[in-house]
Amino acid sequence: MIDPVCGMEVDEKSKYKTMYKGKMYYFCSAGCLREFQKNPEEYLRGGPKGMPNG
Amino acid sequence: MDKEEELKIIGMHCATCVLTVSKSLKSVRGVRDAEVNLATGTAKVILSDSVRVKDLIRAVRKAGYDVATDRFTIRVEVNPEELPKIEKKLIETKGVIDVNSNASLGTITIEYNPLVITKEDILREAKIKGEILSSEKSEKDITYREFKDLSRRLIVGIIFSILSLVFTHYSLFLSIPVVYYSGLRFHRGAYRALKNKSTNMDVLVSLSSNVMWISSIFLPNHPFFMDSALLITFVLIGKTLEAYIKARMSSDIIVEPYKARLKDGRLVDSSKLNVGDVIIVKSGERIPADGIIDNGEGEVDESILTGEQKPVLKKKGDSVLAGSVLANGYLEIYVTRNWDRSYIMQLTQTVREAYNARVSIQGLVDKVSEVFVPTIITISIITFLTWRFLLHSTIISSLLFSVAVLAVACPCALGLATPMAILVRVHRSLKRGIVFRDGNVLEELKNVNLVIFDKTGTITEGKYSIVSKKEFIEGAFELASIAESKSNHPIARAFPTINGIVETFEEFPGRGIYARVNGNDVIVGNKDFVLNNCEWNVEDKEGDILICVNNKAGGILSVRDKIREEAKDVINFLKYKKINVVIATGDHSEQVEEIANELGIKYYKGLTPEDKVDLVRKFKDEGYKVMFVGDGVNDAIAIKEADVGVAIYSGTELAKSAGKVIIRSLKDIEELFRESNLAIRKVKENLAWAFGYNIIMVPLASGLLYPYIFLPPEYAALAMSFSSVIVSLWSLVPI
Repeated sequence: MIDPVCGMEVDEKSKYKTMYKGKMYYFCSAGCLREFQKNPEEYLRGGPKGMPNG
Repeated sequence: MDKEEELKIIGMHCATCVLTVSKSLKSVRGVRDAEVNLATGTAKVILSDSVRVKDLIRAVRKAGYDVATDRFTIRVEVNPEELPKIEKKLIETKGVIDVNSNASLGTITIEYNPLVITKEDILREAKIKGEILSSEKSEKDITYREFKDLSRRLIVGIIFSILSLVFTHYSLFLSIPVVYYSGLRFHRGAYRALKNKSTNMDVLVSLSSNVMWISSIFLPNHPFFMDSALLITFVLIGKTLEAYIKARMSSDIIVEPYKARLKDGRLVDSSKLNVGDVIIVKSGERIPADGIIDNGEGEVDESILTGEQKPVLKKKGDSVLAGSVLANGYLEIYVTRNWDRSYIMQLTQTVREAYNARVSIQGLVDKVSEVFVPTIITISIITFLTWRFLLHSTIISSLLFSVAVLAVACPCALGLATPMAILVRVHRSLKRGIVFRDGNVLEELKNVNLVIFDKTGTITEGKYSIVSKKEFIEGAFELASIAESKSNHPIARAFPTINGIVETFEEFPGRGIYARVNGNDVIVGNKDFVLNNCEWNVEDKEGDILICVNNKAGGILSVRDKIREEAKDVINFLKYKKINVVIATGDHSEQVEEIANELGIKYYKGLTPEDKVDLVRKFKDEGYKVMFVGDGVNDAIAIKEADVGVAIYSGTELAKSAGKVIIRSLKDIEELFRESNLAIRKVKENLAWAFGYNIIMVPLASGLLYPYIFLPPEYAALAMSFSSVIVSLWSLVPI
């Protein structure tokens, strides 16, 4: 599975996770998780955009 | 000139981390390039000479990672006033990250980069001799050894000084053991200092005693052998007293391993215990290790660690800490941490570091110390020349005045004034359960003008109760209760305990939980979280906690948490001090507003831990000096970010909490500000004494008020040696 924000490979063991519309999403870092929470739709529609502020 | 530094980075697990770390390193001004390697976990940094490794580490830590460093403590044979010079030399040594010296104990703690340099190389390059302290115990041995050595020399000094007073004809011979055995420390110290192109108190003592003793050989009619011996003896009296105070102080913060009883009845030192051992503790015994109760129960008195006098009932599964006492009962304890990592050892380490605090005023003191001795020697020479050639005095009296100037001047008190005051305050607070992990906080507190409180568990008791509930789906509340049984959140504890099968469970800190209970999908959490994940099919959505069952609105709850009794007093105290107060909480509910209104303060609600950090930064950018008070675990990052981070201790995970200060309850906040005032006042008083003493005594010794007041060199030495004793004792005097 991939991090919906940066596109990196992540697994279910990642401690950075959230639930949106009943579905679980996992992230590689707190930065990506925060970015997703700000605007989940943007990432779910537009796909990963690379590292936030990167 | 560029140099290369290699760092061992901790906590990198993916390519993003590599990017983050390398970006954080490159953001440090003066870094030319940084190459981070995930496989080896290292970073190679090319940097200009102006960059300190400390800045690199700070940048990495700020990005949320850590750098592996090593540290060791060394006891050096120098006087307090020489320490700044040695620190400077060490800091300039490649691979040295940070240096903290403690004048009151004569120790230097050096943090270094083990990839670049070894302990031995540091000492060799900085040309420092001393004894590396391998453990707390050796520090105690050393301070006591110092005291014993001084006592021995003092006894010899006293015996032979008295003999030379009685048998004046033999004073030449009788004074030799005093001046050249008892006084050997001073001559050695002076030689060492001069070799290192520095000066210290030893130079003054050695010079004054030698000038008197040697000139006596050429002045057979007026020998000063006895005076020279008395001078050394008087200085030793003060030095021995001072060493005694230090030894007492340092032994107070040293924890000896306890005796532990293994299950087979063998007694071993707690330092020999391994994780996984099971030990037995009987009523009235001290608990020798950190662990979990495997069997039995009893009342445990943790006052040595927390200052809390009331024993706490502990049962199977509860954790216990080394150093606490089993007031009554019987415990079998499974050891979870070895001795060196135990909480009490971490606490002593923390406190010892706090003692090394440098107060800003110390900068001025260091500058004065540097020029102090050369200035005194100059004054002494001028004194001699003035009496001899301007006032046409005899050689003998001119010599007496000039030697008295050397003997009376006391740079030691300057070196001791700050550390002694801080040491005593940190120590006193510790006995009351307030832990200063950084002595500088005592000074920083004075500038705090905004306090941010976490709400749950800090301002409030953190014990929620459900005050109203609506169910849209029958049984929703029961399902939510079963799901919440898996969570440790304070709100989860408001739900009744109902047993059921939880197949999957996910927790989203600060927002809610998702669980599969008895075949149903259950989501419980704050409004935003639940509405984002649920087809909420009813109009009503106003409440603190929403429950969603199988993607449909299940129910709504309102919860309440009580304000702590002491919260109002503390906030009124802060307002009285004209300090701004705000609440920052993850809670979204209307209750935040009610609590803030009741306390008459501003609030920020619905914040994630990261938002709290941003809030702290925002206030700092606006020029506030921010104190953040939280429970130390959830708020760790905000506590770290604040100028003064205060963690309220409520549990055994204290060692993990982030605060520079750790307190037991909100009540201690007033105490903190009081301690800060007292510490700063003590430092100022000590310095006023140290400066004032020299400003008054040096002119007196030079014969300014002669013949009304005359200070023979041996009495000048007595005054000098008591000057530093007074600083030590004055620090101990409660205000």
